[in-house]
Amino acid sequence: MLRLSLAIARKDLVLTLVRGNGLVQALLLGLLLLFVFSLAQAPGEKVGPQAAAAMFWLASAFSQVLIFNRLYDVEEANGARLGLALLPAPVQGVWLGKLAAGLVLLLLAQAVFLPAALVFLGQDLVAHPFTGLAILALVDAGMCALGSLLGALAQGQSGRESLLGVVLFPLLTPLLLAGIGVGAQCLGAPAPDGPAAWLRLAAAFDAVFLGVGLVLFGFIYPGED
Amino acid sequence: MPEDAAIALEGVSKRFGAARVLRKVDASFPAGAVTLVIGGNGAGKSTLLKIMAGLSRPSSGRLARGAGADGGEARLGYVGHATFLYPGLTALENLAFWRTAHRLPLDGAALLALLARVGLAAHAHERARVFSRGMAQRLNLARVLMLAPDILLLDEPMTGLDAPSRELLRREIAAARAAGACVALVSHDLEGDGPLADRVLALASGAVAYEGPAAAFFARAGEGPCCA
Amino acid sequence: MPKLLALAGGAALAGCQWLVWCYAPEEATLGLMQKIFYVHLPLAWWALISFFVVFLGSLAVLARRSEAADRLCAAAAEVGVLFSGLTLLTGMIWARRSWGVWWTWDPRLSTALVMWFIYAAYLLLRGLDMAPERRRTVCAVVGVAAFLDVPLVFVSARIWRSIHPAVFASRGGGLEPEMKLTAVACVAAMGLFWAALVWLRKRQLDLAARLEAADADED
Repeated sequence: MLRLSLAIARKDLVLTLVRGNGLVQALLLGLLLLFVFSLAQAPGEKVGPQAAAAMFWLASAFSQVLIFNRLYDVEEANGARLGLALLPAPVQGVWLGKLAAGLVLLLLAQAVFLPAALVFLGQDLVAHPFTGLAILALVDAGMCALGSLLGALAQGQSGRESLLGVVLFPLLTPLLLAGIGVGAQCLGAPAPDGPAAWLRLAAAFDAVFLGVGLVLFGFIYPGED
Repeated sequence: MPEDAAIALEGVSKRFGAARVLRKVDASFPAGAVTLVIGGNGAGKSTLLKIMAGLSRPSSGRLARGAGADGGEARLGYVGHATFLYPGLTALENLAFWRTAHRLPLDGAALLALLARVGLAAHAHERARVFSRGMAQRLNLARVLMLAPDILLLDEPMTGLDAPSRELLRREIAAARAAGACVALVSHDLEGDGPLADRVLALASGAVAYEGPAAAFFARAGEGPCCA
Repeated sequence: MPKLLALAGGAALAGCQWLVWCYAPEEATLGLMQKIFYVHLPLAWWALISFFVVFLGSLAVLARRSEAADRLCAAAAEVGVLFSGLTLLTGMIWARRSWGVWWTWDPRLSTALVMWFIYAAYLLLRGLDMAPERRRTVCAVVGVAAFLDVPLVFVSARIWRSIHPAVFASRGGGLEPEMKLTAVACVAAMGLFWAALVWLRKRQLDLAARLEAADADED
């Protein structure tokens, strides 16, 4: 199963980064969101750290929807989805492969969003590099576990981008709150309780939805024509 | 399930919502033989092949598959209306991906030889996006042959192929049968594909109209119109 | 049976009105406004139970491909979204009176809102044009994932609030025994009403499915 996942992740990254322009749309959408939100600052005023963190995660969430739509769309062009169904490996390998590819793409997008958020929204990173990286890893992992599961589900539906968003965003609420909470602390918001509770919550979310994805993915993928 | 059958269907029915596509189909497909599956449009041929491939679940009835040549699970090759090719990958990359995904060892030289066998050697490093329908179908054929399937399910594989491509495909079907594979071939071209067939399964409105040796079927068909 | 339930539920709810207005004492600070609590609490409880039923039904759909369980999910989700929507409305009226704002980041209120969003999306998914078999599994997967999300949402809303200064004293705590009794009676009465609603809706869907199957057999 891991070999299948690796093969799929590699193929999807080649198709998206080398042969396609899959990430460009996600990047532009995220940057636009950040830019438009920067207009909320009156001249000489600064956006608070919490608002900046919220915008960063909003941009991430939107680009994630585009990323997972793209990743599952790749299988539709010539019905490759059915080919995946014929493989002798458990279909969960597909979920894991897409999760890995999505994680790489999301991290790449965030590598652009983070400096953009700092610049557009006039923020300074205040220490906590390890906390920041830990919450980034935990939140991204959870987002991709759920994104990979629901991306498969929205496949083949009209208006699937908005459909995926509508189903995905409310489910992601706890994770986004954790990301925003810790992100704000990293940007200098006062934090009497520290990030520990958020990190625990994000880890719990990851555990639940990695399990859910692993168990339930087989029911919805590949599906019939 | 009969002794020599590679795949057997018992009372298989399929309904899509209100529509009944297959009605209590009993059929068996022996190894080392080509079974021609015929029937008019909407007779349920494609659905039958999808159920045999495991791509679709029968609403009722049973499907049994024999063991493969190596004693393990039978290896399955399926050529449907879709080619399973990624337009953004080259011909070689497409084959390499599917080979890895099937947990088979990768050998670049063997893949190139395979591409030469289906007449695509010169296009190995071109993206599948620029392939014509016929070329894509040849590449699809290479993808299936590379798996050395015990069961070969072909759903109208001749569609869109020129005469030389069809010849190539028929040669490969004969070779697969000689190697002991069970071949199920859906076709409308009785004249072209009839000589390949050992057995015939004719469907009409989702039910079996004839199942048996090809010779007897064609002798009967000579007397009057049947099901094709 | 559903008619009986509906009748019993109606009668019980009417009886509860007597408890609410004549038996339970008036709250000292909030006055009559506090009475909305006796509608709000049962609605919230039964909304949550609806979603739990969706969860159980979804498991049954996945484990046994049960079509009846799928229809139960549909009925329960519809009633659940209705009830949680009403929970939000009554909660907002409460918040306005009690805390002076229409909306506040109260963990329970926020959880109700997020649940409303999740299950509204679930209903949207149910309404899509998909092959029936596919829709059943897709909805079941979301039904399971959604309910597992609920505790996480609640905990996150709680942490979120604790980081901010607690502006509003938490409500509840010591209810008068008469109030408690009234609240319990209201929850039970609402339960009868809820069961009648879900049952009726489920039966409607059963009949629709039977009609469709009969149509199919005629072909």
